[in-house]
Amino acid sequence: MKEHKMEYVKLIDTTLCTACRGCQVACKQWNENPASKTQNHGSYQNPQDLEWNTWTLIRFQEYTDTDGNFKWLFRKDGCMHCTDAACVRACPSGALHHTDYGVVAHNREICIGCKACTSACPFDIPRYNKTTEKIYKCDLCYDRLKNGQPAACVKACITGAITMGEKETMIKKAYDRVEKLGGKAVVYGDKFVGGTHVMYILSEPPAVYDKLPVKPSVPMSVILWKNLFKPFTLIGMGAIAGAAALHYLIKGPHEVHEKKEGEE
Amino acid sequence: MTNHYIDLKNADVILIMGSNAAEHHPMAFKWILRAKEKGAQIIHVDPRYTRTSARCDYHVPLRSGTDIAFLGGMINYIASNDKFFHDYVVNYTNAPFLVNPDFQFNDGLFSGYNPEKRKYDKATWTFQMDANGVPMKDFTLQDPRCVFQLMKQHYSRYTLDKVSSITGVSKENLLKVYEAYASTGVPDKAGTECYALGWTHHTTGSQIIRTMSMIQLLLGNMGIAGGGVNALRGEPNVQGSTDHCILYGNLPGYLKMLNTSCPDLKTYLEHYTPKCNDPQSANFYINYPKFTVSFLKAMYGDAATPENEFGYNWLPKLDDGKHYSLMHLFDKMYEGKIKGLFSYGTDPAVSSPNSGKVRKALEKLDFLVSANIFDNETCSFWHGPGVDPTQVKTECFLLPAAATMEKEGSQSNSGRWVQWKYKAVNPPEDALAIGDIQIRIMDTIKALYAKEGGPNAESILNLKWDYKDGKGNFDALKVAKQINGYWLADSTYEDKLTGATKDFKKGELVPSFGMLRDDGTTSCGNWIMSGSFDEKGLNKMAKREKDDPTGLGLYPNWAYCWPVNRRIIYNRASCDVNGKPYNPKRKILAWTGDKWVGDVPDGPWPPQADKEKGKYPFIMKQDGVGSLFGPGMVEGPFPEHYEPLEGPLAKNPLSNQLINPTIEIFKSELDTVANASEKFPYVCTTYSCTEHWCSGALTRWQAWLLEMQPELYVEIGEQLARDLRIGNADWVHVSSARGRVKCRAMVTKRFVPFKVEGKTVHQVGLPFNYGWLYPEDGSDSTNFLTPTVGDANTFCPEYKAFMVNVERA
Amino acid sequence: MSNHSAEMIKVTDGIERIAHWILAATCLFCLLTGLGFMFHSWSGIPNMLGGYYAALWMHIFSGLAFAASLIYGFFMWKKDCAFEADDAKWILNGGGYLWPTTNLPPVYKYNAGQKAFFWCIVAFGALIVLTGLVMWNADSFAHVVARWAFTLHAMSAMVIGSFFVVHFYLGTIGNPGTVSAMFTGKCSKAWCQTHCPRWLEEKEKKVA
Repeated sequence: MKEHKMEYVKLIDTTLCTACRGCQVACKQWNENPASKTQNHGSYQNPQDLEWNTWTLIRFQEYTDTDGNFKWLFRKDGCMHCTDAACVRACPSGALHHTDYGVVAHNREICIGCKACTSACPFDIPRYNKTTEKIYKCDLCYDRLKNGQPAACVKACITGAITMGEKETMIKKAYDRVEKLGGKAVVYGDKFVGGTHVMYILSEPPAVYDKLPVKPSVPMSVILWKNLFKPFTLIGMGAIAGAAALHYLIKGPHEVHEKKEGEE
Repeated sequence: MTNHYIDLKNADVILIMGSNAAEHHPMAFKWILRAKEKGAQIIHVDPRYTRTSARCDYHVPLRSGTDIAFLGGMINYIASNDKFFHDYVVNYTNAPFLVNPDFQFNDGLFSGYNPEKRKYDKATWTFQMDANGVPMKDFTLQDPRCVFQLMKQHYSRYTLDKVSSITGVSKENLLKVYEAYASTGVPDKAGTECYALGWTHHTTGSQIIRTMSMIQLLLGNMGIAGGGVNALRGEPNVQGSTDHCILYGNLPGYLKMLNTSCPDLKTYLEHYTPKCNDPQSANFYINYPKFTVSFLKAMYGDAATPENEFGYNWLPKLDDGKHYSLMHLFDKMYEGKIKGLFSYGTDPAVSSPNSGKVRKALEKLDFLVSANIFDNETCSFWHGPGVDPTQVKTECFLLPAAATMEKEGSQSNSGRWVQWKYKAVNPPEDALAIGDIQIRIMDTIKALYAKEGGPNAESILNLKWDYKDGKGNFDALKVAKQINGYWLADSTYEDKLTGATKDFKKGELVPSFGMLRDDGTTSCGNWIMSGSFDEKGLNKMAKREKDDPTGLGLYPNWAYCWPVNRRIIYNRASCDVNGKPYNPKRKILAWTGDKWVGDVPDGPWPPQADKEKGKYPFIMKQDGVGSLFGPGMVEGPFPEHYEPLEGPLAKNPLSNQLINPTIEIFKSELDTVANASEKFPYVCTTYSCTEHWCSGALTRWQAWLLEMQPELYVEIGEQLARDLRIGNADWVHVSSARGRVKCRAMVTKRFVPFKVEGKTVHQVGLPFNYGWLYPEDGSDSTNFLTPTVGDANTFCPEYKAFMVNVERA
Repeated sequence: MSNHSAEMIKVTDGIERIAHWILAATCLFCLLTGLGFMFHSWSGIPNMLGGYYAALWMHIFSGLAFAASLIYGFFMWKKDCAFEADDAKWILNGGGYLWPTTNLPPVYKYNAGQKAFFWCIVAFGALIVLTGLVMWNADSFAHVVARWAFTLHAMSAMVIGSFFVVHFYLGTIGNPGTVSAMFTGKCSKAWCQTHCPRWLEEKEKKVA
């Protein structure tokens, strides 16, 4: 990771979210993402899931808690901008990278659409577009940040459910808020993958929420791949080449032993 | 709103009832959440658990159309448990007034009912007067004929059991809400109510709002920071359009529309200028003639003279006793009595009740002029579903209109703030602002009348019509200044209270409606807006200062707020009779001995303890006090629960009067009704969704919004869906006695069945944002289902409670 | 049987050699482009090929050719590469490459090391091809499948890459006289007597 100018954290307080989906539209507008042709699937949630042209969406969930209280949970899903980002680890071309704000941006110019990131991401965020053969995801409006503007979703949020600011300040804000809320409220994001740059204040335990991993981590497969097999490919080939050279020097070439006449 | 959006943050308890604030008034809801952050209790009472409910402390489900029963129960709770704000009720309401001994209430009807006309004779709905013609009062509130006792008696029938059985709300929930809300009946607590179309869209809509007003008076919540009865209006500019008389019975500024029983100006002014013999009542509408004459001067300019009654008879008049609401309009159109329709910024083929009838009615027009941003189902009715274009004679014109950001002008928000806004971009192609369209049409009409003459030619030819800029285009600022009003002669204004005088020159603007005159020396298009400019022409609507001297979020220098920049109306009621604030922590106003300090007070007079110069706080009321007894309503002085036109019950559990006795029943063959019918067993309500706007005529074309809510759906509770074997996202038919729509089923936990009169009653709901024109497969208008019936006072249609059946498609 | 030991004996036919070289070339190409994807520091390789995107497609098509030649090679060589009892003995003696030994069992066409290489290429080649197909269409598979495909692909590359080096060494300077088998198709009789005596014997019997 590069040296940061300043690490930003976007804090999503689900206890203030009214699911107006202004963020969802603002994201599409700023990033000029087209709409999809959708149909009603018996829920307000639409599109059903993140798509190459939908980098954030509100997940609607009808939930009855253990005390029998009905709750309608809203969660703004989107890139969590991990510090230890599996996608960045997995990306072969360097298209996925950390910006100087600590968030994970994506350089589509050099993206090769290999889809390593789509499966590596523990939050299931990056999406592949078959037509452009590229990956798409939130970059926390890097262009806006660079110009001193908050991300489009932050700007659009009316209730103040989405805010952003300097990392430590926001983490403190999150914990203060959770303390005030009490009950089952928790901070989500700072305790794994090196800390995410998008954090939640959840009113329920994380396990309750659809598609939200309780203990997200860089997958074992990615660690094996990138931390073991990747170096050992070169190390292995190099070591064997070295061993061969050594063999050649010590034992020399394996000469054929001509059979002399009548030797039998 | 009696208060304003930001003021919601000052409340201790917020009752959201008849509104889905989070979904439809997100900006208002921001301030509700601020209040919640500060510890306020937020309660949502609504048939359906919505995005608003999700952010409230709790949600209480209530059967559609039973709000008066619910609130009547609250009045009963407050009165019988002595939870009311005694000092406030005695001094600032008509609770102590003694009512006419002949006034009666019996089995759902008040005295004076005429069943043939479906109308009351209000003769007995009066007070006992003393020798001076001032209402007699019993400040102990013990007299059995005093308003308080009559009210208490009236609502004693609204017991917890009864209310629970009508509304389907459990007794625990009723008590929970009543206790929470009644806790604000003390000087240092404020409770506010937020409503919207969930209250107005009923045959009892006006009375629901009145019931809440009564509760607010009982608890001392009117005129205070964090209090009030707050209609949440939105971007459709309902506030601005009603201020400027979108309703047929009004002239601008809520003056009454002319009618045939007032054939001349004198009769009209005598009829509508209230009289009061109590010297302490400001009775501000005593100034009615000044507002009316100034309005006529604004209409007809120099042509309006005392000799011709300022052009009074050039204006059209309503036939006495007849109504001209949207529903009447389409009823008459269906009868073939209306030849042409100008439909601007509206889509009645989707948004009007009983859309099937509306679309049939449009076929009987000779011409239809639509001015809209997009084509809509109204303008395109001639090629709609089931219509043979070759058989439609109507000539349709679609005038491309400019969108709101493509024109300059004022916009009014719910808090009565009138904010000037500037044009951001030019309209596309040959689209024009509605003002420009009107200028061109009226110019042509005037020229034709000048050339050819015609009936009532004077009313057209004399019309003052100088609202163009140098290039001949519509000039919004010129209109705004005429609305504010001008001095038409050099004049001197004398302040009656202080004796100070000020001189004005002819051509200067009138800086306040208090200075308007009835002699033709001032003009004013809308008296409540007089003061939006200063005399030199400073546009106060364009002010954008962020100072907040009270710390209560009044922001007095941000835009202009009618009346006279008063941010909280009836604010003198926030202080005791000596002008001392009831709640020193939320001090919006205080009497310093010689003047009021804080918000702009409701009149400069001293508080009412000063028997000589002091005035009562409710200056717009004839008697100067809030009306617990409200004879102005057509249904009666005390709101009473009646069932919706179509409901699940064959008998009103409270009386033998099933439905509102004063609503007009429409009788065309397309106006069928099925009350308590086995064919249509489910209560249905309609609503909007956050993602679409009104009929969806604008938002359905917006791909990002359509993506989120692509097609019509009906929300059904899990139990009903199980009973009907309907799966989530299945296609279903929803039908009423009037029509049928096809839509997706959205099976949800958010609708729960009600226990009503011992029976299980299911309720379903649909949004009204879809029409056949676009998207092609998004289904058609929900209003095929709704009945042609409206509130008896306002004729606001009953979109919120009717009966349907649901079947798998 | 009086042939001079310098006499050249045909050990491979044309088809065999073509299959081998396609397999070798595609394998090497995939290996190099793969390394280019794996290490940002090796970006020179994809850049030389016209960028990552072009390199990816070349990698994919090369991989498909590798798969085709692998399948062909499998059927062609599987019989000669079937393990037999003596192979264990051969391995226990280090194939004669690591320490002096006189105990080597006579080899038929391929010795146990070559067989192991073959089966390794078959197994990891199949794995790398299959995982490659999954990666190519990662969005059609469950994430956990796709995720492990990337990992197993890399692991296979590691194994194949390593064996590739061994094969290269033993096929060239490690065993003088071997490399001609894949160019001219012929090796000296002496070479055959050393590396595949039983095969030679059988071949000569047939001729006789």
